[in-house]
Amino acid sequence: MKTWRRLHDTPSLWERYFVREKVIRAIRSFFETEKFHEIETPILISHPPAESYLDVFETTLLDRARRPAKAYLSTSPEVPLKKLMVAGLGNCFAVTKSFRNMETQSNLHNPEFTILEWYRVGADYCDIMKDCERLVAAIVGNGTLTYQRQKIDITGPWEWITVAEAFKKYADVNFDNFLDEKKARGIAAQKGYTLKERTTWEELYNQIFLNEIEPRLGQGKPTIIYEFPAAVAALAKLKKSDPRFAERFEFYIAGLELGDAYSELTDPVEQEERFHAELAEVKRLGKTLYDFDHDFIDALKIGLPTCSGIAVGVDRLVMLLADTADIADTLFFPASEEFDII
Amino acid sequence: MGTISTADFTKNTFVEFKGEPHQIVEFQHVNPGKGSAFVRTRLKSLKTGRVQEFTYKSGESVTEVPVVTREMQYLYTEGDNYVFMDNTSYEQFNIPALMLGNYVNYLKPNDVYQVLVNGEEAVGLRFPKKVRLKVTEATEGAKGNTVSGATKTVIVETGAVVTVPLFIKEGETIAIDPETGTYLERA
Repeated sequence: MKTWRRLHDTPSLWERYFVREKVIRAIRSFFETEKFHEIETPILISHPPAESYLDVFETTLLDRARRPAKAYLSTSPEVPLKKLMVAGLGNCFAVTKSFRNMETQSNLHNPEFTILEWYRVGADYCDIMKDCERLVAAIVGNGTLTYQRQKIDITGPWEWITVAEAFKKYADVNFDNFLDEKKARGIAAQKGYTLKERTTWEELYNQIFLNEIEPRLGQGKPTIIYEFPAAVAALAKLKKSDPRFAERFEFYIAGLELGDAYSELTDPVEQEERFHAELAEVKRLGKTLYDFDHDFIDALKIGLPTCSGIAVGVDRLVMLLADTADIADTLFFPASEEFDII
Repeated sequence: MGTISTADFTKNTFVEFKGEPHQIVEFQHVNPGKGSAFVRTRLKSLKTGRVQEFTYKSGESVTEVPVVTREMQYLYTEGDNYVFMDNTSYEQFNIPALMLGNYVNYLKPNDVYQVLVNGEEAVGLRFPKKVRLKVTEATEGAKGNTVSGATKTVIVETGAVVTVPLFIKEGETIAIDPETGTYLERA
């Protein structure tokens, strides 16, 4: 049955869906107080991001003579926000729709979703961690919430744990050893994971993280897990004191991953190298190869100020506050009801 | 036993996990933010009914456990077992309650069900997404209470209690999701 029909039959369900507007109002009010600019970023874009794990929606833009140009649906507002920071914008945020293809069969994903990103100029990822604590407190209102029968105390400080500490605590893995690919293979094999010749270090890392660590995060209290290995640095700056790690963190509440943050990479040379590495990975995975946005590299060459930012899944925040286990239960028109294949 | 890839997973796939047969009861694809993809599953042991989580690498090959579906009539319960009979061979099979989970609340004696059989053992049921059951006990919705969208509880013919909208009356047939026990629609 479609959601609108269920609402028609059972009006008490409306409450659950109205949580979304409350969350979005709280977000806007938080950043208004912080004096951030709210930016509308384009959803229809000319270049998809160079991120190997993303499957983008492709479409075609036509002029009056029906001459075609390739166009894509945005997967994140990050690149336009960074270009505007190069132009001198300062602290900013966007709450917008983003799109990722092939993310079906999941109660945590909808192919179209609402993303919140904010960037603080002159800040590093520790400042963003504090923003997260304050923003979630402002959204929740009182200091606790109950999600799927679990009480979560959201008052700060949250649990802060490094990836290396979490590997020790939850998986009994010495991360210094694990950083060595050969030793990592030995550790994974000992734990009973399937290893193939072509299994990469990053796959072993993620399999242990997903199986043994992630489900334990954010239980009773939100968790900030930080200092990710450089191999999964994405667009994060490496730590000066220990370049084996990147200044990246994620935060979890009740096992739900809500946000991914970096001290932003500002070096255009390194950025371009990482784009090329990503494109090589896209090729290896047999996905469609797109040219990356050279305009973004040009912008970085002019100079992105030192800054740090985060992407937060707004739908998951809504799930948390509405206490639903399925993202579809927070959406009036979830893709699973609109499309047959999902 | 053959092997399958994680791409072939469905909710009715049976695989070997830590040397024991398990049913995949839930699965979802995960991209942990960079690089490779994974498939997070919830696996139910066919021996103990215990549910565990495991995340496979996308494309990993997994040993499949052969399970066939046979139509059988549900007869009665015997202690913690639910007894089914194959009406062509007259063989009887017991399914422990813990393998049936929430479904036990919606089983109707003499109805025919799709029983999953592994070797000589019945290991579960392939339940439809909806079951249609008659409401046998319902109170009238409180008069004048039409705006709040309040709900009430009714009892269906299997004895299960279901929360429904106020307009449902005794004698009507309703559709229920047997996995969660939630009311879906008037059938």
